[in-house]
Amino acid sequence: MIVCHNLIKDFGDPPQRVLYGTSFTIEDGEFVSISGRSGSGKSTLLYLISSLDHPTLGEVLIDGINLKDMDTKQIHKLRNEKIGFIFQFHYLLPELTVLENVLLPARNLKIIDQKKGTAFELLKKLGISHLANRYPNQLSGGEQQRVAIARALLLKPKYLFADEPTGNLDTINAQIVMNILKEVNRTDGTTICLVTHDPDFASMAKREIYLIDGKISHRDNEII
Amino acid sequence: MFFLSWRQMVARKKQTILILLGISLGTLLFVSISGVQLGMRYYIAQQLLNHTAHILISGAERKVNPTEVTNAFYGKNEFVAWLISPSGLREEVNLENYGGWYDLLSNDPRVVDFSPRMSAHVILSKGNFNSSVNIIGTIPEKTVRITSIENYMKEGTFMALKGSHNIVIGSGVADDMGVKVGQYINVNAGSGKMGTFKVVGIFHFGNEQVDRSLSFANLPDIQILTKSPGRVTEIAVALFDIDKSQVIADEWKILTTDKVEDWQKANQSFMEMIRVQDFSRYFITTAILVVASFGIYNVLSIMINQKKREIAILRAIGYGPDKILQLILYQGLVLGISGALLGLLLGFLLNIYIGSIDLNIEIGGGHNLWISYDWKIYVTAFISATLSSLIASFIPARTASKMTPMDIMRSE
Repeated sequence: MIVCHNLIKDFGDPPQRVLYGTSFTIEDGEFVSISGRSGSGKSTLLYLISSLDHPTLGEVLIDGINLKDMDTKQIHKLRNEKIGFIFQFHYLLPELTVLENVLLPARNLKIIDQKKGTAFELLKKLGISHLANRYPNQLSGGEQQRVAIARALLLKPKYLFADEPTGNLDTINAQIVMNILKEVNRTDGTTICLVTHDPDFASMAKREIYLIDGKISHRDNEII
Repeated sequence: MFFLSWRQMVARKKQTILILLGISLGTLLFVSISGVQLGMRYYIAQQLLNHTAHILISGAERKVNPTEVTNAFYGKNEFVAWLISPSGLREEVNLENYGGWYDLLSNDPRVVDFSPRMSAHVILSKGNFNSSVNIIGTIPEKTVRITSIENYMKEGTFMALKGSHNIVIGSGVADDMGVKVGQYINVNAGSGKMGTFKVVGIFHFGNEQVDRSLSFANLPDIQILTKSPGRVTEIAVALFDIDKSQVIADEWKILTTDKVEDWQKANQSFMEMIRVQDFSRYFITTAILVVASFGIYNVLSIMINQKKREIAILRAIGYGPDKILQLILYQGLVLGISGALLGLLLGFLLNIYIGSIDLNIEIGGGHNLWISYDWKIYVTAFISATLSSLIASFIPARTASKMTPMDIMRSE
């Protein structure tokens, strides 16, 4: 369970407020989308609740533990074991093969051998097992993003954070990625938090957190 | 993290090999310059030590003091004006207390052995040919033990000096006078002191000046020849540790009015040359290693700039700052260590090659340069190459480890 309390984020000097006192809770197994126009602060909010960034004020509790109270080592352990990230860009390591990229989280915990089977199964499930020994630059954009998803899912994280995962993909590949996310949420009970500006994808989630100028609002309230 | 470091290095083969060559070049130059210089130094030191000693104890020269003479002859209160003031040496150079030295040197555990000597300037003559040399009266078995002169005997042996009226001369003198082993020559110590000696050996140090100006005889012969029986002008001392000669000489100096001189001080110009050589050797190597280190620094700095995204994702996956530090540091270390090892090997091979070149000049019995293969050269080269690459990679590694995922993603 992720609990956010009165999150405020300022950027720059002089400080410009991007988020104004946001509070909400994400229950385990939920599929939540964070949406809004560009500049509404949706990515910022995602990074705050996923431990990548620190709020200027306010608190984030993951499974009851305040992120503020965790040291660097604990934060990285949390990210390694409980959190999976998917970004707009795939961020695969070009020197490693697809399989080696997928196994990166396991490598950090020194459990590669135990996880090789899992990695291969994941690739199969995502329809890219024939590419396991290729290098990322030999893959198409959709395939690269699926490898990134496999990497995020390898250790069966409790939370999956996705920042515009379909932003760089064509309609068909975007649909494939969305289906994978829904499937993961349904079968594994993974809590998913998805940032998107696409209203269709946002509405696929069970709950939508809609931001207008850094404040939680409702889509209908927006003045167009 | 080593796996990732390795993969990243393999991915940029050209850069990796170029830097590797830079570091090996620095190491190679240090190894071969040091090999040649230290070999040369060893050769020269050997040459010097063949006829000097590690420590030479000799009688101090004492001058006549006019005031002392005046006081002795006329008393303190008399005013005396000399027309020609007394001057010159007080007496012949002589060791103050040979017995005392004998006890001290016999009981010092740092001393291998010592040999009393009496040196004199004499003129060797045979027929119409004369040659002025410095003759050293010595005890043959002791001299053989404290020097390596026996290795430099061209004809005859040094031990054949035992007995009376035998002489060992240098190859230069022998050539000049046309003397062979077994022939007799006259030795003239001035003022009618003369003797006939049998040549029992000819040495050849390969040093023109020494081979022309030095000869050896049995100590009692020279004492008799110079009409000063029982007199010893100097004691040659051999030490177990040649590098301690200065310390030990300073220690003994306090005990006596005699002159105690270690071989380094006796050959000060040589030691200064060595110091200059050392300086240039370290300077050249440092310069090359600094350039190579800048290479490492540059390549790694550029790399972490190109790899920001990968660093960001590694951090998001859970690789902590320490792991990122290792990622970059390992690359510098691998480059440093393998570059150093390659340089050591190439330097070693180059030294073998240099040592095999026939220079057509005589150096210590051969025609090749003496090359030092002292393990200390290799250890120094290895450590300095590894250390400099470690420092060069530490700075970019620290920069990389301080990047947070957010900084990187925002700058994208």
